Amino acid sequence: MRNTKLITLLVLLLLVMAVSMAQAQDRVRVRWYVGLGAGTDAPLVAAQEEIVADFNASQDGIELVLEIVDNAQAYDVLSTQIAAGNAPDIVGPMGIRGRASFPGAWLDLTSLIEANSYDLSDFDPALIDFYRVEGEGQLGIPFAVFPSFLMYNVDLFDEGGIPYPPSSYGESYTDWEGNEHEWNIDTLSEVAKLLSVDINGNDASMDEFDTSNIVQFGYGTQFSDVRGRATLFGSANFIDADGSAVIPDVWREAEHWYHAAMWEDYFMPNAVYSGSEIMGGGSANWFDTGNMGMITIHLWFLGWGTANLDASWNFGPVPSHNGVTTAKLHADTFGIMNSSENPDAAFEVLTYLLGERAADLTSLYGGMPARLSLQDDFIERTVAVQSEAYPGVDWANLNWDVVLAGLQHPDNPNHEEGMPSFLEASARYNEYGQLVDNNADEDIDAALDSLRDDLQAIFDAAM
Amino acid sequence: MDMFTEFGTARGQAKWSLRAAFRLTGAQRDEAKWGLIFLSPWLIGFALFYFAPMIVSFLFSLYDFTLSAPDEARFVGLENWVRMLARDPNTWETLFVTFKFALISLPIGMVSAFLLAVLLNSKHLMGRNVMRTLFYAPTMVPLIAAILIWSRVMNPQTGWLNQMIELTGIHAVGMDGLRWLDDPNLIYLAYTFIGLWGIGNAILINLASLQGVPTEMYEAASIDGAGWLRQLWSITVPMVTPVIFYNLVLSVVGLLQYFIVPWVLNLGSGYPEGTTNFYMVYFYKQAFTFQNMGYGATLAWFMFIIGLAITVLLFWSGRFWVYYAGENR
Repeated sequence: MRNTKLITLLVLLLLVMAVSMAQAQDRVRVRWYVGLGAGTDAPLVAAQEEIVADFNASQDGIELVLEIVDNAQAYDVLSTQIAAGNAPDIVGPMGIRGRASFPGAWLDLTSLIEANSYDLSDFDPALIDFYRVEGEGQLGIPFAVFPSFLMYNVDLFDEGGIPYPPSSYGESYTDWEGNEHEWNIDTLSEVAKLLSVDINGNDASMDEFDTSNIVQFGYGTQFSDVRGRATLFGSANFIDADGSAVIPDVWREAEHWYHAAMWEDYFMPNAVYSGSEIMGGGSANWFDTGNMGMITIHLWFLGWGTANLDASWNFGPVPSHNGVTTAKLHADTFGIMNSSENPDAAFEVLTYLLGERAADLTSLYGGMPARLSLQDDFIERTVAVQSEAYPGVDWANLNWDVVLAGLQHPDNPNHEEGMPSFLEASARYNEYGQLVDNNADEDIDAALDSLRDDLQAIFDAAM
Repeated sequence: MDMFTEFGTARGQAKWSLRAAFRLTGAQRDEAKWGLIFLSPWLIGFALFYFAPMIVSFLFSLYDFTLSAPDEARFVGLENWVRMLARDPNTWETLFVTFKFALISLPIGMVSAFLLAVLLNSKHLMGRNVMRTLFYAPTMVPLIAAILIWSRVMNPQTGWLNQMIELTGIHAVGMDGLRWLDDPNLIYLAYTFIGLWGIGNAILINLASLQGVPTEMYEAASIDGAGWLRQLWSITVPMVTPVIFYNLVLSVVGLLQYFIVPWVLNLGSGYPEGTTNFYMVYFYKQAFTFQNMGYGATLAWFMFIIGLAITVLLFWSGRFWVYYAGENR
């Protein structure tokens, strides 16, 4: 009798499982891949899972599945998934670099936009065009922009008795003697030297400065590659209009400045210091250590980027070079892969993420919404979200105006712009960066010329 | 004997063997059947997950196949092979780097594992079991974590390795000090150090082998006046040659596939000065980072052929120096 009951119970259990599985199978499965841009940091995972759960509960036609892969592996994992015929449906958020790394893999959204009469009037038309790639079509719908800005450690400025950077673009820098200076690379360098301190308390402007025992640095272009950091001096790319590899003069100048800053003036961490405990032991998040005076960084850094920083900080303007200010811009979107078996369902999810949940997601990733209707209260929303997540920072009293003003100085061409054989070309210029950042005696011009020749060979092979 | 006669004889022998195989008794056939049934999970697994992918990867090597655009794959015949062997200098440069590192790392790794095993087998060692556990413990630390820890230990500015060397009076700390991971002259030594962190398995295998050497041989040698070094050289080493051979084959194969350390530390950039541009790093970059799966598969097959050739050579050499007790020669 007991056996009969047990068997009946098991059969019922199996029936329930079969019914739920059948129900799940009725739904179209859409896979959302996160990793090529923001979204992989631990605090963001739960919030994204919540959005997925909300979507799945809101309808019964689609089952949205979230896949988060750490950024360092995300490119290789996605490549492998594509090759194995197991590619996700939706990928994002991702910047230009993410999109350019998989040429030909994205679905042209034009027909889906038309078929669904999707309303694009809430976006800046120029931004929509930004995602229209010749020969490939409309590869994305604008999602968020991440302007860059200067961040400075208020406590370190106070400690050194150094006046803060200007609070707006165009404003001069007033030094400790009351003299006014244009807020440009030269002024930044001088301030950065004062902020760079050795173990004995000498700063980098003094003769006694001990370069082998530096405990605090003045400036760094953080979380950026060679193209990104060189853009501080102006917008350019390694390829010209004819498809030839070039080292733009302004970038050559930038690279000389960076090398001198690391190995002659020592106000920026070279590779040795960057990997040391003083700068976070290879985490590359220099600012978070409290031993870095100023960095240039993007909006996506907010929150998690200063999670361990026990100091006050604020925003400032990016310095100009030769009278021109370039605050490099990241612009993110979500794409649908052209291998998706359910493009209609994927588009439905896409419009959910970029429409109904755009405000939540942009706040989550720290981006400024591309939707014009969401831009007005963007700061308030960001302050609210960050205040809850990181209550140690007085988010409401930061200089948000200068952050928004950075949007007036975008880099064009963008520093993440595509190149032939993008991944191979990127690997080559990253090798260059590693070489010069590690070697005091490196001949920058020769290294750049060698880089140009190698890039040309890569471009030629790709043609 | 002409060629045709030779061929005929060979055919005859083959037929004879086949007939012999079918001339099994019922019980033997039953035993063979059950043997195959019990082996079948492995055989099926091998066929599905090793053999089939190997064949497919060989086919890849005949295609211009980009990972992100599999539909555009194009048959190119032996083009990838010609490019690899004749036109791509990276093939030979990365092979050279791999062999150069192997020549440095292999003897250090093998001798260290053996000597540590001898030490841990010594009856004079206090707390032998604790020591054995301690020497084996690092093996249980995930390799990636160990590499990241080592990169900080070897930091020229704040790493404790340089700090300790500095205490001896040798200038080691700082940008002009010992830059283990930046100096082309130190890099292989640094990578070898990192490798030594994980020799626990090799120590364990050597230790097991050392414990299998009959003690009577040492007693007899002692009576004959042989010292510790003589006993080690004339008794221990010959008796454990099968295990040395086993470790050698595994180490050679492991070094040919050397990848994780340079990848974690440099993301395959080859820094410094191309000294860490190992063959498998180059393969990975081509196949996955640059998405050239066709060419990547060609590189993988070439390494397989090289590995096979070296292994065959080692097995051939083994008959001259490996001692198998009870084997008829």
